[in-house]
Amino acid sequence: MRLVEVIVLISTVLAVALLITVGFEHLVPSERVRPVAEFYLNATYNQYELRNYTAMSPEAVTAIVWDFRGLDTLFETSVFYLALIAGLALTRGLLLERAEKSGHGLSIIVRTVTRITAPMIVAVGASIGLHGHLTPGGGFQGGSVIAVLPMVVIVVFSASFLVIKGVTTTKLLVVRSLGLTGIGLTAIAVFLVGITLHMPAYVFQNMAKPDAQISMPYSVAGALISGTLWFFNIFEMFAVAAGFSIAFIALMLARTLESSRGE
Amino acid sequence: MEAVNTYLLSVTLASLLVNFAISLYAMFFKPHYVKKVIALTILGDTVNTFAIYIGYRRWVEQRPPRVPVLTDLRPEAIEEFKNLAVDPLPQALVLTAIVIGLAVILFLVFLGWILYSHYRTLDMREIKRLKG
Repeated sequence: MRLVEVIVLISTVLAVALLITVGFEHLVPSERVRPVAEFYLNATYNQYELRNYTAMSPEAVTAIVWDFRGLDTLFETSVFYLALIAGLALTRGLLLERAEKSGHGLSIIVRTVTRITAPMIVAVGASIGLHGHLTPGGGFQGGSVIAVLPMVVIVVFSASFLVIKGVTTTKLLVVRSLGLTGIGLTAIAVFLVGITLHMPAYVFQNMAKPDAQISMPYSVAGALISGTLWFFNIFEMFAVAAGFSIAFIALMLARTLESSRGE
Repeated sequence: MEAVNTYLLSVTLASLLVNFAISLYAMFFKPHYVKKVIALTILGDTVNTFAIYIGYRRWVEQRPPRVPVLTDLRPEAIEEFKNLAVDPLPQALVLTAIVIGLAVILFLVFLGWILYSHYRTLDMREIKRLKG
């Protein structure tokens, strides 16, 4: 073994040992969760005692992702966007070329079944995304489910099928940018209302806080929407679905052009 | 019963550590680029599972822990929910980590494709040799 490999192995073992030492108390979960988790669980839907701290969402994970720790998620969304832009920049020269010829695709049985299941995939994804504040799931998961559709279409029909039908990466980038703009506007919605009404309000505010009494409506016509959470989820769903579709189309088109050039 | 519970949780922990070691080994010592990326995804998933495991909760009075989703909106249900639900914070952080991991892997896949079109190989030893 070379010296580098020995050093890597030894330092890994030492690092894991350090981790075990630090976290020894918590290596086996206990019956109680940490105090911060207890607060989140107590405050996620609590209009009785914690009226000024609740997120009014029965789903604690969504409440943390988009309300209690909303800024994290905003930056995470932008990291994903940057990675997409980097990927598109790497394949830029290839995507400018038009893919003209459409392949034959798989057999007619597979194509018909895909046509039938396509709306179902979108429906399941939309359901996961729109109920993100009530059930496990949310905008990101719903968007990922919807993004399965372009992948299936690419495999079943052909790599350039989507581009020929008019679903280009440019249009998807527009959808993605609109989703991100929606997320940004939702983040400052309460703040803008506060400025207009000359009342204190925060960026990323959802429900009323002790020193900022403006709040988003948590239900519309009897349906619980948890204030900003529903809007965040729907915009994130569009952004993620479009983002993944861009990645799939870019990768598959690049491959097709590469192989056709090599022939 | 208590010992069985602890033993099963320790089995999870031990397999996570083994998974961690295997993925690190593959990432450092496998020469092929795609295998390195696969090892990176295994490493990321292991770390995410570990975070979820940290937020897990033991059975309280013979009742299993619950998902952190409130299904009963009455005020008296919140107390029971607080005493039984698992920690939602690691789950929210893992959600973030998965997206970041996906972004990184997306970038690495594009990078690998560029590597291949430059060198006509993804074997790291070959690329190292061709570089000079």
